[in-house]
Amino acid sequence: MTASLPALHAGLTSPFPRSERLVTATRDLDRGRTSPELVEKAFVEAENELLALEERSFTDLTAGYLRWNDLFRPIAETWSGFTVGPLTRWLETNTFFRQPVLSAPPRRTPLGIASRLPPPLAARSANARVFLPGPYTFTKILENRSGASDLEVLGSMGQLLAEEVHELSGLGYGLFQFSDPILVTDPPEGKAAEGTVEAYRAIATANPRATTVVWTYGAAVGPSLPLLDRLPVSVVGLDLTETEPESIRPGPHALGLGLGIIDPRTTLPETLRDTVDIVRQALRRRPSASLWLGPSAPLDLLPARPAEQKLLRLADVRAVLLREGLA
Amino acid sequence: MNTPLFPTQEIGSLQKPSLEALGDWEQRIHFLSRLSQVPPDVLRHPDVATLQNLRAAFGIAFLESAGLDRVYDGEARRVEMYEYAARQMTGLQFQGHVRSWDSKYYRKGTAVDRINLIAPYHLDEFDFVRAHTHAGVKLPITGPYTLADWSYNEYYLARQSGWKGRPQRRAAQRELVLDMAQRVLRPTLQALVAHGCRVIQIDEPAAGTHPDEAPLVVEGFNEATQGLDAEFSMHICYSRYQDLLPALLEAKACRQWAWEFANRDADHHDGYEVLKLLREYSDTRSIGLGVLDVHRDTMETPELVAERIQRAAKYLGDPARIWVNPDCGLRTRTLDVAYAKLQAMVAGAALARRELEGNNS
Repeated sequence: MTASLPALHAGLTSPFPRSERLVTATRDLDRGRTSPELVEKAFVEAENELLALEERSFTDLTAGYLRWNDLFRPIAETWSGFTVGPLTRWLETNTFFRQPVLSAPPRRTPLGIASRLPPPLAARSANARVFLPGPYTFTKILENRSGASDLEVLGSMGQLLAEEVHELSGLGYGLFQFSDPILVTDPPEGKAAEGTVEAYRAIATANPRATTVVWTYGAAVGPSLPLLDRLPVSVVGLDLTETEPESIRPGPHALGLGLGIIDPRTTLPETLRDTVDIVRQALRRRPSASLWLGPSAPLDLLPARPAEQKLLRLADVRAVLLREGLA
Repeated sequence: MNTPLFPTQEIGSLQKPSLEALGDWEQRIHFLSRLSQVPPDVLRHPDVATLQNLRAAFGIAFLESAGLDRVYDGEARRVEMYEYAARQMTGLQFQGHVRSWDSKYYRKGTAVDRINLIAPYHLDEFDFVRAHTHAGVKLPITGPYTLADWSYNEYYLARQSGWKGRPQRRAAQRELVLDMAQRVLRPTLQALVAHGCRVIQIDEPAAGTHPDEAPLVVEGFNEATQGLDAEFSMHICYSRYQDLLPALLEAKACRQWAWEFANRDADHHDGYEVLKLLREYSDTRSIGLGVLDVHRDTMETPELVAERIQRAAKYLGDPARIWVNPDCGLRTRTLDVAYAKLQAMVAGAALARRELEGNNS
């Protein structure tokens, strides 16, 4: 370990909650009590505040993706073949998303996703982390009325996300995180597992220079690790608040290890020492060339103030690890 | 109460009408006549208490005039189902808003100390409803598991030592659920029953969130209701019910499952098929059958409602066990849409009744 310390990344792995000011502004807009211009101003201020925090403390920038309504909406609203469907519960949470409904072969719209990325990232694309839905999770949550089989849709999603990454790479983005929690909450088997590997292979083949992260959460990763280790990605992220460290098995050293260590399901701040220790335990069990730290699940399960405290704790953990070493 | 076959009931909250809307609705359902001593300009500048009474009287009249057999007040006095209850106890602190979807948010409390009830709640609203309705009364109250699940758990979790992994979180959650059941719900339910409340719906929408915790949902329900003389039901929505069974069946005092079905009923998917499971488990409790999708404006026809009821009756094997209701509260629909949906529901129940009686004659 001491001979080759892993590179240490840290940052947001999901949208950040809206500040109380943004909550009020967006509510007021819904009720016709404010203007879109004032809401836009509130978004810009909130994005800039979060960017400043990220630039001080972390390696990757997101600006919080505060404008996104859910992870799937940018695709459901911009790609053809999709419409936005009914409210649906997001995993084991009290938050909901609009279920994408696929009723024709899906097609990308050029610059569709790019137009939905947080505006401040355009000028910082080299350090930005682009959030995209993982192909397996996306295929699982959509309502497929297209006539194609789910396996065929999974294949299409791999191809289309590959094109998306290619287009965004051309705009200077280099780090792409695929949020794919259903890989661990309802792991694919048989043809679906092979289809998932193929979908990620399509992305990797078309974008050999991109850094790709598959981020999972919501369940212990143990049973899914053999499959995750086969995915042709740069980093595999797992939920350490759901996973017993003893169940983590070694994987390919070149495959980056992502650890979700900040728990958005409670406002209780993580204790610094326990968190540093659990990271070291996980890394001992699964040595890796790079370590990526982040929240274990979407931080927007919290109100903004405790979420910010948790984010600062993540920065503290990174600082201790940088100072004291990972071993 | 003598109930017809396929009686109808409310299930949750309604949109809170503005003063202007109350004025418009007064022309249609004459809810002011239920109140005594109403000044002529009461709809212009009511104080807070009067406005709450107006909205409650409106909610009762709204549901009654739509034709429902069992009503409440549309939860007119509650800011929403979690926050209202959370403010009746000590130990919970609010730290801000959490997004539910899009620009819809709710406040979520943090358990920063051991939970304690300030005083039993919903008594005044129950008294008001009972005094102002001709229909049956069913009181909805948020259940202990949902109150715990929709709160952040600091106090109980902090008592667990070391890294707060899944086992520690589960242990802390059980403590919080049981405190909610024993220290908040139980004394409140006792007081309601002592007030004469006989039909009580325990709302547990969070039950479907963590299917593996269904036994804890039941433990909380049993702790809250044990030994109390009332007709309890359990309302759970937006869940895969098959994942909660058979654990749920251990809810001893529960006499009705009030579930959502219409939201998932479509041409290519039978939303009611899950009822077959209850028959397989030989569970004979009644069903509060969700027949209205509360998340869409699309109007159910009486024929569709009747067909859903008949389908459910076939799966259950006993039509007499069916109560008919919306999937969930109609709060997200405009009052016009909600009213039209409820009327279609009542007409659909009557149609199903006639069809069944026709088949049996």
